[in-house]
Amino acid sequence: MIQLSNVSKYYDNEAVLKDISFFVDKGDLIYITGPSGAGKTTLLKLIYRAERPDEGSIHVAGWDVGELKQSTIPYLRRNIGVVFQDFKLLFNRNVFDNVALALRIHGLHPDEIKETVNEVLKDIGLKHKSHEFPQHLSGGEQQRVVIARAMVSKPTVLLADEPTGNLDPDTAQIIIKLFKEINARGTTVVIATHHSDLFNNTGRRVIHLKGGELIKESIG
Amino acid sequence: MRTFLYCLQTAVKNLGREKWINILTVLTIAVGLMILGAFILITLNLDSTIKQWSRGFGLVVYLKDDISANEENLMNEFFTKDSDIIEIKYISKDIALKELQQTSGPMNSILEGFKENPLPASFELKLKVEALDPIRIKLKASRIRQLSGVDDVQYGEKWLSSLNTMTKGMKIITAVLGSIIFVAVAFATYSTIKILFYRRTEEIETLKLLGATRSFIRLPFLLEGIFVGTCGGIISISGLLAVYYFTTSKIIDFMPSLKGMIMFFPPEMYPVAPLAGAVMSLVGSFLAVGKIRY
Repeated sequence: MIQLSNVSKYYDNEAVLKDISFFVDKGDLIYITGPSGAGKTTLLKLIYRAERPDEGSIHVAGWDVGELKQSTIPYLRRNIGVVFQDFKLLFNRNVFDNVALALRIHGLHPDEIKETVNEVLKDIGLKHKSHEFPQHLSGGEQQRVVIARAMVSKPTVLLADEPTGNLDPDTAQIIIKLFKEINARGTTVVIATHHSDLFNNTGRRVIHLKGGELIKESIG
Repeated sequence: MRTFLYCLQTAVKNLGREKWINILTVLTIAVGLMILGAFILITLNLDSTIKQWSRGFGLVVYLKDDISANEENLMNEFFTKDSDIIEIKYISKDIALKELQQTSGPMNSILEGFKENPLPASFELKLKVEALDPIRIKLKASRIRQLSGVDDVQYGEKWLSSLNTMTKGMKIITAVLGSIIFVAVAFATYSTIKILFYRRTEEIETLKLLGATRSFIRLPFLLEGIFVGTCGGIISISGLLAVYYFTTSKIIDFMPSLKGMIMFFPPEMYPVAPLAGAVMSLVGSFLAVGKIRY
């Protein structure tokens, strides 16, 4: 599903990722970990083509990401749901509209959008807040809205960048449970985190980055 | 179609959210188009007046005293074949004398001193308004001068030249002013859309990351531009119409002879203003949004 082959990325001639290679199978849930500045966010950005690799190649769901034309990038991104570290919620739209946006981009019928969004909001326990604006939600609720928006279009890959960064341990567990449920439905999930508690004793693959290098792979 | 409707809905919402800046742009466009419309109107009225004056324009072909009947016939035939000539009038020596006697009044005694009629016979040729080009008339006059039996050809060369310069001048000024206003209107919309675009940078970034195509991102801005331009155009034509009725009624109070002479655009031309506003604003919006890169 995701294959990185000898990928390097430089900013101002300084390598932020060096010769990274790994493979994620369809339906896997893996963790990418490492300290701040290890290159986790850059790695995810390369996968959804917010950045372009300077060396090596990336294949996601059959797309050669590095070679994509500008006009094709949106179609790749429609196959990838992203839970951003800074949420990227639109504060002039309510919860329903924020989640529905992904489907509107897909050009779905309004009735279908309504039905799907309500279903997803129910799944994440925020149906009763669908008319609230993001600024009136707690951090955990905002995070759940972001997850709902990322999963609503049923992407083949879900990327999450520090999804529990600012959350208390209980809320973090709820969020991780959500990812597991999404993964159980067949979506490939990649979670970047520096919290080892999230992957310890999960039995999942963990990719360890440090200083832009893949230092080891382990089972959590 | 669904995407278009959603973009339309977004554009309407955004127009409401940013109503003051949009109202200001609508008024700017309206004023710009009104100035342009007023100038076109003045040019049209001047052009129409000039055409009315030109209706009496013609060439006078003076004939030699010894011209034969055959030469006269050939000449008449030559004029008939010329499609620029709409009226041919032959003035014999006797008629010319009578006309002079009728118009000269007390100066008639001077004419009595002549033993023979000193006036030449002539052809008075009236020309189509479209043919009143100084170079074309000059060529025509010189060709007629070469005909056998012609003594001289006269026409208001200087008058025609001034008239032509004036008409051309007005057209150039209108074209230049039109271009300036086109740029000004496009720039007004450009600035507004650019501001709105910057204000929504975060939203656009999110849309791009969620897989929105360029047209999905661009369309609401273009629709906003079209809406603003169309409104500006509607206000401009309405305002111009109001100014026209007010001004003409005041002018006619002072100069009743001008009644019915000052014209406005025909009703079928009214949609041109909103259309022009829409096109100018669309250009401005398109440039403001620029190239979207992922």
